[in-house]
Amino acid sequence: MTKVLNLLDPLLILSAALMGLTLYLIFVWVPTELNQGAVQRILYFHVPVAWGSMLGIFVVSGSSFMYLWKKNEKWDRLAVASAEVGVVFGGLMLLTGMIWARPVWAVWWTGEAKLTTALILFFIYVAYLMFRAYFPPGAQRMRLAAIIGLIGAIDTPIIYFAANLWADAHPPIIAGPAADAESTLGSDLGMVLLASTLTFTFIFIYLVQTRYKIRKSEDDLIELKRASTAAVMTGAN
Amino acid sequence: MTVTRTITRAGALRIAFAMIVALSLSIVQTNVSSAQDASVLSGIVVGVETDENGNLTRFAVSDSSGEVTTFELSADTQYGLENQAGDRWVSNQGDEPSEAARRLRDHRERFAPITVSFENGTALSVVEREEGKLEANLGYLFAVFAITWALFFAYVLYVGSKQRVLQHEIAKLQDKLG
Repeated sequence: MTKVLNLLDPLLILSAALMGLTLYLIFVWVPTELNQGAVQRILYFHVPVAWGSMLGIFVVSGSSFMYLWKKNEKWDRLAVASAEVGVVFGGLMLLTGMIWARPVWAVWWTGEAKLTTALILFFIYVAYLMFRAYFPPGAQRMRLAAIIGLIGAIDTPIIYFAANLWADAHPPIIAGPAADAESTLGSDLGMVLLASTLTFTFIFIYLVQTRYKIRKSEDDLIELKRASTAAVMTGAN
Repeated sequence: MTVTRTITRAGALRIAFAMIVALSLSIVQTNVSSAQDASVLSGIVVGVETDENGNLTRFAVSDSSGEVTTFELSADTQYGLENQAGDRWVSNQGDEPSEAARRLRDHRERFAPITVSFENGTALSVVEREEGKLEANLGYLFAVFAITWALFFAYVLYVGSKQRVLQHEIAKLQDKLG
């Protein structure tokens, strides 16, 4: 078994270097935002982790589709690795959002559309992982998990468009095809957000890659256990 | 063949990393110099000047040493000012010059401190003095970053422990199978 947590992994080094640069940009370089003051800097963590959680479900659904099509177990491994990292990013998205909401909206949580759909995404991840944990291993588990992964992806566009579809307390979309031109960040703030998003994307890829290798080892272990049981049975006969 | 491919991939990653760092540093260097052009002054509003329509034309601020500075305005001058109840008003000189005058007079009457960022005597932004809220906000900011890193480290530790257990079990089974 190869060592999966390799500190000299180029992707880990790249992520760490970019994180150092991003922290410098967030805390030293970027000017304080006019309306919210220092607390606005939460944006540079909140939006990238939200992006990571959506990227996660996108990879889960893409891999699930590929598994249903090709029946290759590597796609199933990628889906479960992405779901596990996605639930970490999803949890962080909710926590950072709540902490940001408290000083800005004076509440920890409100039942508005964007927050509710984001919470649903988190539950989809949890449901996917719970299903995998409790259903017996095998082709049927992979097939059903792939279907859950595909259905879960429906929530992603709803989260993205929620702020525009149901005008509520959450700020409108600031990036992507549906971004509101008037709400677009200034160049300095936008550049830092872009750098932070890039950094978290690398962290996401590194974590998924690491988790994928462990999943591969778990599958190897199952195979070894089967071989061991077969050897014991042969010996008994 | 595999070795050649691995070296090429590692080399490509190193080049990509070097390019990203170089690009980022050049962007930072360019922007830091431009961001530092503006100056900042905090103090109490001591004078508000308006035209015949009640639109703000100039205002004066007295800093902690008692020195009074007068600021000109442009249509792009931005405001982020709170009333006594804490409701924040956000606008700019081009859109609401008379409201800006009213707000600054309110600040003058209450002796509420403001922070002005300016360039060549023209105010770029006029906001509540940041020190007033900085401490309260920093707690939330710290909480976000602490929780994010704690969760990431917890996840990496979980992955690491899972790897150790797997390694142990695989080694045990491999020994058993000979």
